[in-house]
Amino acid sequence: MSRPFPYTYISCPCADTPVPDPARKRRSRGTPQKSPNPEQPNVDNEDKKPQEEENEDEEEEEQTFDPRSPRSNFSLYPPEQLLYCEDCHQIKCPRCITEEIVSWYCPNCLFETPSSMVRSDGNRCGRNCFNCPTCTAPLAVSTIENVTGNGSQQGPWVLSCGYCMWTTLDIGIKFDKPTNIRTQLQKMTDATATPSYDRSRQASRTFGDLKSPLSSYASIDEQSASREGSGEQSATNEDTIPTPDLGTDARFAALKSFYRTQISETSTSPGDPLGSDLGFSSPGALNRLMSLYASSSRLSGLYGGNKKQKSKPPVMREALTSSEGLRIAPDNGDADVIERLGSQECGWDGVASIEQRQDQSPDVRFADDLIPLPCLLRTKRAKRCKSCKHILVKPETKPQSTRFRIRLIALSYIPLPTLRPLALPSSSSMMSAPIPDLNSLPPLRPVHVLLTLKNHMFDPVRITLATPSVTPGRVASKVTVLSPQFDIGANSDVWDEALQNASAPVTGDPKLATLRGVPEAGKVWDKGRNWTTVVLEVVPGTLPGSEAEGGNEVTAKDGTLATQQDEDVLEIPVFVHMEWDAEAQLEQQNVGKASKPDDLVARELAYWMVLGVGRIQASL
Amino acid sequence: MPPKAAKGEYIETDTGNKISRRSQIHGTQHIILGGKTVIQAEAVIRGDLYRLPSTAASTDPNNPPPPSNTPSVAITVGRYTYISKSAILRPPSRLHRGVHSYYPLKIGDHVFVGESAVIEAASLGNHVHVGAGATVGSMAIIKDFAVVLDGAAVPPGMVVPSWCIVGGRPARIVGEVGEGYGVEGADGGMARERYRVVGKPAGF
Repeated sequence: MSRPFPYTYISCPCADTPVPDPARKRRSRGTPQKSPNPEQPNVDNEDKKPQEEENEDEEEEEQTFDPRSPRSNFSLYPPEQLLYCEDCHQIKCPRCITEEIVSWYCPNCLFETPSSMVRSDGNRCGRNCFNCPTCTAPLAVSTIENVTGNGSQQGPWVLSCGYCMWTTLDIGIKFDKPTNIRTQLQKMTDATATPSYDRSRQASRTFGDLKSPLSSYASIDEQSASREGSGEQSATNEDTIPTPDLGTDARFAALKSFYRTQISETSTSPGDPLGSDLGFSSPGALNRLMSLYASSSRLSGLYGGNKKQKSKPPVMREALTSSEGLRIAPDNGDADVIERLGSQECGWDGVASIEQRQDQSPDVRFADDLIPLPCLLRTKRAKRCKSCKHILVKPETKPQSTRFRIRLIALSYIPLPTLRPLALPSSSSMMSAPIPDLNSLPPLRPVHVLLTLKNHMFDPVRITLATPSVTPGRVASKVTVLSPQFDIGANSDVWDEALQNASAPVTGDPKLATLRGVPEAGKVWDKGRNWTTVVLEVVPGTLPGSEAEGGNEVTAKDGTLATQQDEDVLEIPVFVHMEWDAEAQLEQQNVGKASKPDDLVARELAYWMVLGVGRIQASL
Repeated sequence: MPPKAAKGEYIETDTGNKISRRSQIHGTQHIILGGKTVIQAEAVIRGDLYRLPSTAASTDPNNPPPPSNTPSVAITVGRYTYISKSAILRPPSRLHRGVHSYYPLKIGDHVFVGESAVIEAASLGNHVHVGAGATVGSMAIIKDFAVVLDGAAVPPGMVVPSWCIVGGRPARIVGEVGEGYGVEGADGGMARERYRVVGKPAGF
């Protein structure tokens, strides 16, 4: 609700029908297309309700859409965020769609990452895009400025942040060349973590470590190769030299390959599908799971399914040496860290904040340990209707492109509502009154607002508007739609509008407006090619505890009746019912011709929208 | 809401630009307005910070470039772009090979620049919305249909992809706009309407 006044929100009907159960899906799929008058599940809900104009009673209040109810927060969307499913004939909000990824791209260099590379790169850009570890701004590759300036720029390169002026020099990192920074950095961070590193292991490990440890191996060959490699290596290195601590990534890779070998050695059946792929990485865990399910189901007990339990699970050992990924906590515990925290040169600025540590390896405690982070990739996503699985939005794959292959937005189907206050000539003088200040509407003084509905369909639409005569909630404002039933013309060629000198809805000439006089009941205010403007008369209610209400002052003092947050916001729920004759689609022609011979199918759509008019002043 | 404009506050050019008499535009020969552009009062547009041709000459003294009589363009602004009150448009600059030089600032169509925002970007795409008080750092690139929230500080050199919303200091991607963003008359598509109401007497 952070938009400036006046705003309009449209309610997606999915909030009333929360679970997209298959039965419903079948119904909504089966009936509406075949029937000449397509009924929508949400509409028939509404139809059962009595007309909004009649509901003065308390019991009907829940039938009226209440913009203040906590539930409505989840169903109200700005019109441009809504989609429309042509098959379900329903508005679709971000909650009633599923998304699927079309492409991955780096938000910084806008290069697409092929989906095969995404996992191995750890969902991060594999090029030169890094974020500052202290402030998250993007880092730029820059040269350490030579004094000569015009010489060849073969200096060492650094990553520098243009926002907080952090550079990799702060952590003592320079790069030899300005390309492929990520690989260079990866080598460096490994090397710095393991200063005395024997060559053979480095050579054997680099291949696996260039990839993120979180990625699984791309192929079986690779996996087995690395497993064999580490197996050999652990066999040769074991007990010979006290290996230094590995870096975090290297340790993870070592542990991972260690457990892989353990699983392959201890798994009972070689063709066990669970052992390798499904992530039940320990045979003990797998056995426990299996026995859990076997014993819990009585049937398996009856049929002697628990015989298998008697076979003893193979024992799997844990990592024993640091080359296998074991790390032993230092003897003196955290004393070193604590001492450094307390030391003079570290100070507050030397300690990494929680936000900074979130994206770093868990061992990072100090600002000097922070390393630049490759940019996280973003995705372009296609969107599908959750109930009928039809595709609603499909962007083009290229990251730079802003076009869509398919884009069924709600604005192409439902009329676009815009709201605007009306400055009426005041009765005393012929000067036009100033526009009412929407951020402080005086209570009990009628305001007129113009509601323009603009049709984007190529068929004319009949609209019926309905509002509760008094807005729900404690601040009861009176609302009257002066002409609740009207037509909107069809949208035609764009050129028509251009040639007609663009008399779009909100152009209204002020002189014309004064000439038009006062709004009358039953008359539309203004009308154009594909839009119609009607007047809403609003009498803002008084806030509880305000002077205008007089009697409430006493109760306001004890706080029970004091204004709650945003209670003074004047929001009007409006029920919109639209009918139009659409051209029958191919599959409907056979069925629909019974009612309309000329290939036209009557359609209707109904939904609630909320007009945010303004904020009511506390006192007169 | 645009402020109440006094009569004759705006100069309207042949191409329909509405330029406030109280705006400060420097180096007009280095500025291209696409037409139907609105520049409000106290906006500052620094066309005088154009790229000096001498910088190119200094790098290559043997072959000086021919003296061109077409002035280099510092700022390009597209159609229906709206520069609010007290906003500052300044071409980006960079220290390149030891020489500090300015680069052109390109602003697309239907762009909204909020009140007292400072733009030093290399380019703003079409339908970009820059909120009030936001700062767009030097050489940043804001792609089409991106939104910079009020008060955000887009760090220098940042690229904001299309359909993304950035906010905060330093700005990060905090969300995405809906697919209908930029549809005429809806959010992100109000540029024509904004243009129309400029300079109209009060009441509209």
